[in-house]
Amino acid sequence: MAETLSSPLTKTLKIALIGNPNVGKTTIFNQLTGLNQKIGNYPGVTVDKKKGVMSYQGNSYDIIDLPGTYSLYPNSEDEVIVHRVLNQLSEVEKPDFVLMVIDSVQLSRGLFLATQLIDLGLNLAVVLNMSDLAEKSHLEIKTFELFKKLGVPILRTDARHQKGIDQIRELIHQQNFSNPGPFIEAKEFLDTNELSDVREFFQLDNDYRAYQLLRFGLKDRGLSEEKRTWILNKLESVNIDLEAAQLEETKIRYRKISSVIQQVLVKKETVDAEESKLDKVLLHPVWGYLIFGGILLMIFQAIFAWASVPMDLIDGFFADLSSWLTEALPEGPIADLLAEGVIPGIGGVVIFIPQIALLFGFLAILEDTGYMSRVVFLMDRWMRPFGLHGKSIVPLVSGVACAIPGVMAARNIGNWKEKMITIMVTPLMSCSARLPVYIILIGLVVPNEHILGFINLQALALLGLYLLGVIGVLATAYGLKTILKTDEKSFLMVELPTYRTPRWKDVLLTMYNKSLTFVTAAGKVILAISIILWILGTYGPPSTMDSIREDRDAKIALAETPEQMEEIEMEASSALLENSFIGIMGRAIEPVIQPLGYDWKIGIALIASFAAREVFVSTMATIYSIGGDPEDDATIRETLDRQINPVTGNKVFNKATAFSLMVFYVFAMQCMSTLAVVYRETKGWKWPLIQTVYMTSLAYIAAFITYQIFS
Amino acid sequence: MTADQLSVSNTATIETLQESPLKVNLMELGFLPGKKITLKHIAPGNGPMAFRLDETLLALRKEEAAIIQVKIV
Repeated sequence: MAETLSSPLTKTLKIALIGNPNVGKTTIFNQLTGLNQKIGNYPGVTVDKKKGVMSYQGNSYDIIDLPGTYSLYPNSEDEVIVHRVLNQLSEVEKPDFVLMVIDSVQLSRGLFLATQLIDLGLNLAVVLNMSDLAEKSHLEIKTFELFKKLGVPILRTDARHQKGIDQIRELIHQQNFSNPGPFIEAKEFLDTNELSDVREFFQLDNDYRAYQLLRFGLKDRGLSEEKRTWILNKLESVNIDLEAAQLEETKIRYRKISSVIQQVLVKKETVDAEESKLDKVLLHPVWGYLIFGGILLMIFQAIFAWASVPMDLIDGFFADLSSWLTEALPEGPIADLLAEGVIPGIGGVVIFIPQIALLFGFLAILEDTGYMSRVVFLMDRWMRPFGLHGKSIVPLVSGVACAIPGVMAARNIGNWKEKMITIMVTPLMSCSARLPVYIILIGLVVPNEHILGFINLQALALLGLYLLGVIGVLATAYGLKTILKTDEKSFLMVELPTYRTPRWKDVLLTMYNKSLTFVTAAGKVILAISIILWILGTYGPPSTMDSIREDRDAKIALAETPEQMEEIEMEASSALLENSFIGIMGRAIEPVIQPLGYDWKIGIALIASFAAREVFVSTMATIYSIGGDPEDDATIRETLDRQINPVTGNKVFNKATAFSLMVFYVFAMQCMSTLAVVYRETKGWKWPLIQTVYMTSLAYIAAFITYQIFS
Repeated sequence: MTADQLSVSNTATIETLQESPLKVNLMELGFLPGKKITLKHIAPGNGPMAFRLDETLLALRKEEAAIIQVKIV
């Protein structure tokens, strides 16, 4: 680090890493930069900007990992970024050099993008990766011949086995990149005279760049209004069929690449790779789905089993920290805010990390082995009638553990409409936070009996709730499909890559990066709402709150045994909550929730659990002054069971109310962390607001119907 | 015929690509006149089709495959 600090005036060189999907680009990025990575944002889009620092021989270099793409033609947000960075439209992200990674087995597809980069006039070097696979497929690439044809430096690597990484470092250090001049001339496929004013206005030094900008510039919402208007005007007057030009370019380019390939590629023999045997099973009409289901089951088992340990530890740690702060700090509102508002708020963010990290770990493994695209292949047919894409299966499945990583995973879907539908419906999948609510309520009203000798009624009820969530997902998706409009055409063109063992280091880095993104991006919103909810739940009209406290203190002074004192404390905290602002709100909404079978106490729990569903259980415990271990379901259940409605004389938690509540929780958007993530992914409050409104309405109507059926 | 009419394990040569907004996407993936493709799998329920093209396996929806005009070898 000392060296870089001593010469602050020399600019750090920026190297952009680019390549087709599944070529091992990220592995190379990880090996070059290690843990020196930073995830940022590109303005105007949700694409993560992955930047890392490579240190070599006392110098440091900024490496930018661009999203994988097949060409410079932008089809998705990811590819708009590639277009923007490589066309050097943004001064901040302008790379000095470009390192293009090509899969040795798929030379022609790689060269398609590589030659486009050459035509843009970028300073380029090419890495032929996966040389091991090429050998296995009996392919030999004559590297020197290829170098002569392209005119850019070429390296051979096998990043998975850490071969050739030092050569890449050396190449970057030597700045061994070159800009050999066009592979094909723009005038071969369009009339370049029409482009001279584009070149002039944008100060571009070649025709290909001008053509790219004219053809795709409007897709980049990051472009200034002035430039957009200029392009729009130009498009109206221009005398070129740009679409035809693009087709012509593609044809000419591939034709020229084929002739290059004939001279540099030696096929020793054609072998049909052995993975087709594995695909026979994994893509089988019956086995394929069964195996997918089995893998899902295993993943959820693992998440529930493994995440609960660190989650309990985090829970315990923040509880200890709160009580330590309460004792260490002088009594007062600041101490209360810290100990009961801020610290639990931070805890509420951190507690999600084990689930997010594990889920993304498993997803990374599935992705890395090549299995995930098989799942997309199998599921696409069944998702489409609902306006979803084969790729929507990943967010939806993740949603069963937690909607947050699910919503984050939706960004891989290229089509805007399909992505939005996926984001909007994923939180309807019953996540793990709903489980404690379900379990308490089912235990209350569904007998622990068996029908047909082996089917447990409680398990059946639980299954029913999960299925209800799935039905909600499909119905809502179908509804949104008819409402949302887009001009983009939906398509599925995915590579089913060769099966490989996962790269564990990359898996770990994904887990780390995704967790970090969640904490930094969504954490702020979650913390803010927790604090607001804490204030609303703690403070109320001072006169009533004070009198409750005075009353409590007076009673405690008279108490004789510790048990009595505890009981007084509990009654007081219940009374304080009832009279707090949240309590007042709970009473205020009582007329609205009465048709669902809820009283104002349940109303309080509904509002308090807006932050997170699992809060429902602990709020109920406070309202009904349940002593002992609030985590103990049995105590809570017994107390709830004893509650009698003073007006009707019946149980508060009868079948109708309990089922109505369960159904409410199936559909309601009671999770601000999800809202915060949706806000981040959609870049605004519009979609999270729509989501909250529609989910709450859905929950209300469904709960109303349920209550009417059972009462 | 078009590629969506092939049966599993048929190999065919691509003749032309029909006019479609997706034509250029197919071309950039390497579906070009003269190339050989082999249909390897069809997902259940008339789902996507997986073609081997050179050394890779590529999945397309049926209507995308219908853009590709082929001749069985």
